[in-house]
Amino acid sequence: MQLYQPARNLGYGQDITANFTKIYNVPKNVKTILRTSCYDCHSNYTNYPWYSNIQPARFFMESHIKEGKEELNFSEYGNYSQRKQNSKLKAISKQIKLNEMPLASYTLIHKNAILSSSQKQEVMDWIEKTSDSLSSKY
Amino acid sequence: MKNIILSAIAVAITMVSCNQKNKQEETVNSETSKPETATVKVNPTSFSIKEIVTDYLSLKNALTKDDSNATADAGKALVETLGKIDMKKLSGEQMKTYMDIADDVKEHAEHIGDNAGNIAHQREHFVLMSKDINDLIKTFGTQQKLYQDFCPMADEGKGAIWISELKDIKNPYFGSEMLTCGSVRKEF
Repeated sequence: MQLYQPARNLGYGQDITANFTKIYNVPKNVKTILRTSCYDCHSNYTNYPWYSNIQPARFFMESHIKEGKEELNFSEYGNYSQRKQNSKLKAISKQIKLNEMPLASYTLIHKNAILSSSQKQEVMDWIEKTSDSLSSKY
Repeated sequence: MKNIILSAIAVAITMVSCNQKNKQEETVNSETSKPETATVKVNPTSFSIKEIVTDYLSLKNALTKDDSNATADAGKALVETLGKIDMKKLSGEQMKTYMDIADDVKEHAEHIGDNAGNIAHQREHFVLMSKDINDLIKTFGTQQKLYQDFCPMADEGKGAIWISELKDIKNPYFGSEMLTCGSVRKEF
């Protein structure tokens, strides 16, 4: 069972122009929050902890990442249509506001991924500002 | 016991290096799983969004009845319909507009389909979906008489529109709670 080690989510040879940070002008504080609390499951770059080498931890982790990326992938954000990007942005804000994300099962182990209320506010404020300027296009 | 754990870790670490091949496979897979473009023909002579609107209206009607399960079913039906739309009749510019909107409609329809039992969340997605449908109708027209209705209280008091085939107000955002809240803003 230890022999089963699926491919790592480390995005070699990716088209980085589709990156979230290439689409929007993301301020540094928000970028750091996203990287620490979201990117492990919602991008092509997972920061793997040491126990990811041990089964079944690895198995659960990979299926989790797959699900997370299907729902929202910051590395491929540019491949969504413009409207969908805007919708996703609002959904991110809502998930954070309602404490749906980051998942409790994730923050249980990744303590540094827990968002303080001021961090939450920083992300939500930035999204509010950004999505307002976008929706005025329609 | 400690030795067993340590050797398990050692074995696991040596196995990491065997992953190169899997990685390549994954890149190939991720390409094939890109959202599929429509192939099934809907209308042989001209492009029409009629089926999309029909599915949207039945979703809307399920929401007015506070029926979360029926709403989810309608969401799933809409996802299916979107996959069958034939875009060959569209010019380059039209296709760009259509795909921009349709990608978003699909997103909301999927979420509505996946959230049977959580009507509040379904209604959140319905806000943006209604805006999309409104813009589809604006761009591609409609044969059917349709109304753009507005509820000032929906979407946490920000107000939201919906599209209806009925002249009378039947509010999908509040259902039985406030069925007649809202007004007709526009006719198509």
